[in-house]
Amino acid sequence: MERRTDGNHMVRAGICALLLLAVWMTASDTYKNLPGFYEDIIRIGVFSDSYWEVQNGYSYQILEDAIARFEKGHPGTRVEYVSGITKEDYSEWLSGQIMKGEAPDIFFIPGEHFNDFAEAGALKNLTPFIEGDREFLPERYYASAYEYGNYGGIQYALPYECAPKLMFVNKSILQKEGIAMPENLWTWDDFYRICREVTKDTDKNGTIDQFGTIGYTWEDAFDSNGVLLFDERGRECYLTDRRAKDAISFMGKLEELNKGYSVPSREFALGNVVFQPMLFSEYRAYKSYPLSIKKYAGFEWDCLTMPAGPEGSNISRLDTLTLAMSESTVHGRKAWELMKFLTGDEEIQSEIFDYSEGVPVLREVVESGGDFPLLSHAVEQAVVIPRFHDYDDAVAEVDRAVRNILDGSSNINMETIIQNRKINRYLKDRQ
Amino acid sequence: MAVDKRDFDMNEEYVPKYVLSMMKNLNMVVILYLTMVTAHSLSGYIFENSAMDFLMKVKRIPMEPWKLPMVSIGLYVCLLLLMSIPSRSKTRFLLKTIMELSIVFAISYVLNFSYTGLVLLIIADTMSYFSDMKQRILLVASIFVLYMLMDYDLLSARYSIISIEACWAYYNGETRSLLLGFKNILNSFNTIFFISYTIVLILTEVREKERVLDLNERLNLVNQELRTANEKLEEFARESEKAAETRERNRLAREIHDTLGHSLTGIATGIDACVMLVDIAPEATKEQLKAIANVARQGIKDVRRSVKALRPDALEAMDLKSALIQMMEETKKSTGVEIVYSLETKLKNFNKDEEDVIYRILQESITNAIRHGKADKIKVRIEREFQMLKIHVEDNGIGCKNIQKGFGLHHMEERLDMLKGSLSCGGDKGFVIDASIPIRWGTEEEND
Repeated sequence: MERRTDGNHMVRAGICALLLLAVWMTASDTYKNLPGFYEDIIRIGVFSDSYWEVQNGYSYQILEDAIARFEKGHPGTRVEYVSGITKEDYSEWLSGQIMKGEAPDIFFIPGEHFNDFAEAGALKNLTPFIEGDREFLPERYYASAYEYGNYGGIQYALPYECAPKLMFVNKSILQKEGIAMPENLWTWDDFYRICREVTKDTDKNGTIDQFGTIGYTWEDAFDSNGVLLFDERGRECYLTDRRAKDAISFMGKLEELNKGYSVPSREFALGNVVFQPMLFSEYRAYKSYPLSIKKYAGFEWDCLTMPAGPEGSNISRLDTLTLAMSESTVHGRKAWELMKFLTGDEEIQSEIFDYSEGVPVLREVVESGGDFPLLSHAVEQAVVIPRFHDYDDAVAEVDRAVRNILDGSSNINMETIIQNRKINRYLKDRQ
Repeated sequence: MAVDKRDFDMNEEYVPKYVLSMMKNLNMVVILYLTMVTAHSLSGYIFENSAMDFLMKVKRIPMEPWKLPMVSIGLYVCLLLLMSIPSRSKTRFLLKTIMELSIVFAISYVLNFSYTGLVLLIIADTMSYFSDMKQRILLVASIFVLYMLMDYDLLSARYSIISIEACWAYYNGETRSLLLGFKNILNSFNTIFFISYTIVLILTEVREKERVLDLNERLNLVNQELRTANEKLEEFARESEKAAETRERNRLAREIHDTLGHSLTGIATGIDACVMLVDIAPEATKEQLKAIANVARQGIKDVRRSVKALRPDALEAMDLKSALIQMMEETKKSTGVEIVYSLETKLKNFNKDEEDVIYRILQESITNAIRHGKADKIKVRIEREFQMLKIHVEDNGIGCKNIQKGFGLHHMEERLDMLKGSLSCGGDKGFVIDASIPIRWGTEEEND
């Protein structure tokens, strides 16, 4: 009898252990590796239209080429992607897939949402892959673009294509006003001087109708004056830094030129503004399409690097489309191979020049292209901002603070100290 | 009535178990409820295209909706299985408890630490293992610390956990309040079950202890009685030992009297005869003396044997009947007394003690007849009457009006008493002895 109950308990313990194993396999997705469940298919999450908001009809061309070549190199493995998801719906679609546990093995992440996905833990830490792969050389990528896939000191994504910010110049106005086109390494002083000279009421109707700049933000000024806004972990804001104060003062001076008039964005297209910062992708879009040329038909234009502040250089921020691996993928090794292929293969990357508006992230591909001499420099020099939890919210706080400082009439030193204290309190509360 | 009462007692013992199983069922309901509602709300977020907002808000990826009930119920079944396995040793118990707590932690993790009542279930289960209050308090206290630590608000300060409220924010205000309210009601029920379990368990144990105490008291009482009885028994044993000693002494005296007395009587009478005969018939005297010498030798043998085994030597060498005949023939020869005997029954199947008694009684009777009765003719008859062996010895001696029981008669009576037999004697013309001994071996003789 005793022996039988003992046996009974052993059976129970056995069932318990098996059940625990099954639960663990279900919860951790390990079951997907079992013979009945395993599929040698790598799924890619991608959107149908261009990342750069330009419709070019080649949305899947690069991907298709890459898949064909990858599948040839990895017999038995299939690569799939879901087509037809627009960029607008993409992040929502991706979130839904992640929540459903059906996240693609690798997926593109629009720059604006990279932080969010990394923060939510949807992305796989790539460090083990990077360290375990001798063929993978991070230095082949532009450091700035590569840094883009870094969140909190951990590499979560590889850059796929990028676009630096450049300054568009309406050459027609400059010619009309008899002002020489600035050098590539121009400064705030040049920028301000030209703006001051061109800002005027040309038809003498009492309102200003020709402007110096539109869309130049305090962030552009900060970046080009070497301001480090936050510390690495987002615990402190350096708004009281002299360079930041100089940048804010400079912004104030620029705004004063317009005499309080807020310039509508269409003014640049109408040919009434000299300078507008734009992404390289926009520049390319306008350059290569008849439609866009028509849009700017009324004037001649060119592009420059961003003007350098007294303590900075001609650098700007970089927008980057990155490629990340899903935290829940069971195809880690192959997914990594595919990621490496998409971002690091020279042929694939050079197709970006043909079918997209961005800039390849491989230095050698861009420099061998030769068409855009200032491009490699601009990308290389692009600023890398430390990103942390709630970075966007913190930036919004700073934006409000800068607005307050610019709109306020009190002393800028005093005001920055007050605002900085406010932001620091916000950062502290957030921890 | 008595049966009813016992049933009632047994039921009382089952009350804690009953409450515990109620608790188990309730926890199953709670887990199902929480996971189903959460799974529904998560699916709702996905379905209504607000997954992005949700993810950005909670900054964490929740478990897939379909997995929630499956994983948590799977773990819960594991927990129940584990709880159903009793643990005998301390290490096993510790291991089991740790495993149970780990599973509880895992379930709580799946439930986003929105419900920690499972720990109470573990405490309730573990408590029944310990009757020692100190150990129990220590154990329960340590698990309670865990219980308190497993709180969402506490954990979320350090680790990123999705609060159930954030998931259930999918529902509008009133629905959410109702859902959360129901969750709280279930939680309260669990607490109530836990408290009542604790009370019932303690009450049952107190009652059990009282019963044990009562039983102990009764046991003590019985023990006391037993001890008295034991003492009495010991005393009795001592007395009986003394009695045995006395009896043995008497027996020894009897043996000496029987053997030596018989031989010496024979010798004395024989020598008397020789004294008379020696002048008249020297040859007969020589014969007589030879017979006397034989009796003396027999007496010596008897004494030796008595010392050794306290048993008639003749009986050692031959069966009862032959021994009796030999004894009578020798007496006849040595004393010249005429002995007529009839042994009408087979004297077999007697035990040694019976044989001894029969032999001695006959020997003693003959000795008495010669010594005290001065008889020259003795009739001996041994027969069987139903289940009684009758020994009849009759002589033609002087007889005895007032029988003064000497050592010999007295011993005969004693010996017969030991075999539950009886003795009657008397007679003024000659002496008659009737001894009867019950036959133990029953019907065998009849069948012969």
